[in-house]
Amino acid sequence: MSAETGDVELVGDAAASNLARAALFAALIGAFAYVSFPNPVSPAPVTLQVLGVFLAGILLGPVWGGAACGLYLLAGALGAPVFAGGSAGLGVLVGPTAGYLWSYPFAAAAIGSVVHGGVSLTDPKAAGLARLVGAMVLGVVVIYPAEALKIAAGVGIVRSDAIAAAR
Amino acid sequence: MLSYEPHDSLAHRLDPRAKLAVQVGFALAAFAHTTPRGLAILTALAGCVLAAARLSPIAALREARYALPFLVAGPAIAALTPGPPWIAASQAVVPALASYRVLVVLVVSVAYVRTTRVRDSRTAVQSLVPGRPGRFLGVGVALVFRFLPVLLADLSRTRTAMRARLGSERGLIDRMEIVTSAGVRRAFGRADRLGVALRARCFAWNPTLSRLRFARRDVAALCFAGGLVAWTLV
Repeated sequence: MSAETGDVELVGDAAASNLARAALFAALIGAFAYVSFPNPVSPAPVTLQVLGVFLAGILLGPVWGGAACGLYLLAGALGAPVFAGGSAGLGVLVGPTAGYLWSYPFAAAAIGSVVHGGVSLTDPKAAGLARLVGAMVLGVVVIYPAEALKIAAGVGIVRSDAIAAAR
Repeated sequence: MLSYEPHDSLAHRLDPRAKLAVQVGFALAAFAHTTPRGLAILTALAGCVLAAARLSPIAALREARYALPFLVAGPAIAALTPGPPWIAASQAVVPALASYRVLVVLVVSVAYVRTTRVRDSRTAVQSLVPGRPGRFLGVGVALVFRFLPVLLADLSRTRTAMRARLGSERGLIDRMEIVTSAGVRRAFGRADRLGVALRARCFAWNPTLSRLRFARRDVAALCFAGGLVAWTLV
């Protein structure tokens, strides 16, 4: 008895490992949405989700970090309960927090390209503190204005109110 | 937690691609017709979608509850004015319509998630996105579904262990650091084992997937989606 293997197109070793890491990191960002700590300032609790996006950029690099965040959004759109509060579905991606969500892949890619100094992967431990801090400031700059603009465009309130709400 | 529930409703039997098309059409129509009349029509249509999914409106709203504070905050912030009479209801009308629009779209997406198997969603992605990118997305989405509960259990074990050792007395940043670093370490450990397992089992770009076929009822759903998109352009 023989198995037909002529049509099987194997995935390369590096791509298989990177795919596994990107998928697991996407699931981790989703799992971080459930870990909430009470926030004394705002009614919305602090979750580790945005930290997960930063770590995706730092640990996986710009390409696979961005891919992990893209997978996270797609899995959530298709029904994995990975968005804030265990929600899911395409509706969340046009909902009130959509600005944050759409900016995640860009933020991870931007952070990754600063930390690794380009598209190829380097050891993140070799990056200096200033570079890491700069990358994360860039991440904040990508994520929060995106949400402010989204609130202004989507919910239809004036931009200054939106920026105040995003704070 | 929002997830698929088996049933034999009409929506369960539809092709996932037709259901995705309906969702996209719904979102486009809701953004193009954010008027009382447009939203009244969309509410009636969303009611039909829920009926097709055999899902009660209360259950659907319960799944969308996380968004409610945000949806109420938009109109509430817009209604505030700096001087007397402090609250101007007329300013809140447009944001309230925008919030309601989002709620209707969320309810329709809840119906999709409740009625579509993960495997079918994955197959839909791979048939909609051609080539290796589609396969990467299909495999990745399937792995996210598979590993989300595993990683959640990892994180909750970490938090339980921390509490048992009086870790809850630590500062907020300390606690976040412990949970995050444990979560990342375990996720990478699992990813490395998964990578080895995938290679050992001849992980291929072209696996055998469930077969999707459009039936007559899917044509009706696609016409519905097409109608919504056409209405957007009117």
